[in-house]
Amino acid sequence: MAFFIKTAGQAFRIEPNHDNIRRYCEGYICEPCDDFCDVSVTPEEIEAERQGAIDAAVAEHRSTEFSKGQLEILTVHRKIAEFMPGVGVFLFHGSAVAVDGEAYIFTAKSGTGKSTHSALWRRKFGGRAVMVNDDKPFIMIKDGKAYACGSPWNGKHRSGSNVILPIKSVCLLCRGDTNEIYKINSRDALPTLFEQTYRPSSPDKLARTLGLLHGLTDSVGLYRLFCNMSPEAADVSYEAMKEGL
Amino acid sequence: MKLKKEFVTHQNDNEHVTVAAGNTEFTGMLLSNETAGFIIEHLKSETTEDKIVDQMFEEYEAPREVIAADVHRIIEKLRSVGAIEE
Repeated sequence: MAFFIKTAGQAFRIEPNHDNIRRYCEGYICEPCDDFCDVSVTPEEIEAERQGAIDAAVAEHRSTEFSKGQLEILTVHRKIAEFMPGVGVFLFHGSAVAVDGEAYIFTAKSGTGKSTHSALWRRKFGGRAVMVNDDKPFIMIKDGKAYACGSPWNGKHRSGSNVILPIKSVCLLCRGDTNEIYKINSRDALPTLFEQTYRPSSPDKLARTLGLLHGLTDSVGLYRLFCNMSPEAADVSYEAMKEGL
Repeated sequence: MKLKKEFVTHQNDNEHVTVAAGNTEFTGMLLSNETAGFIIEHLKSETTEDKIVDQMFEEYEAPREVIAADVHRIIEKLRSVGAIEE
């Protein structure tokens, strides 16, 4: 039976082929409404997702076995990501954690240590920290401000919350022996940010995504962090980004 | 010649960016300054290298041969990433 979810302020209708997706979307299910986008997928679309899923799994050293239910979850996500730029939202790869109501996003290639670093923040701040989305937050640009949005697609640890919070800073994370952070400009940040941004297949939606990326770089602090896994890494990154240094 | 339709751009106060959509081989991002952005924007409709040099010569105060060399270099760069339809 069809159900509705809401993420990044947008409602979607899903008519599932398999059981998994409804369970996966728990916490985001909403009442049926009039203003929605239908992101139901066909068995053919689900099967077409398989090769891409396997390629991504190989790159991240994960299992390459996917059930049809798992592939449906990925296919619906792709459909939502293709739709979003039309309503001022794009899909981003990073770990978004909020402290005192402001979101900070750490981004890097898979395996660099984004989740490890945001886990250090949660240890440092305890109840003051809220995990927005540990892997693929939607970023909404509205009235010149950027917001990080929770969604059911929140990484292998399923870590995130159904919230929409203003973004204070975005941080490009690199491994280092010591902990150092630098403020960078949009020119330095854009190529990496673009690498970690979902690229819609249509030129029109891609052009909108570029505009939204500029909306992000125009409205938040941009940083490059070299860090190890010690608790001090979280002190260094938070102090600089909080104060805008 | 013309910029291929898969190549899309965006300009803000700081920079002009160009990327490619779909299954294009080029997956990076070209970051351009004002003059390179000017050239890319003029390539959105059918044109020639000479026409772009003329347009730039009207817009910017620089010797024609300097402009011609710049235009050539940038078009070659675009060609190398498969952005130009001849």
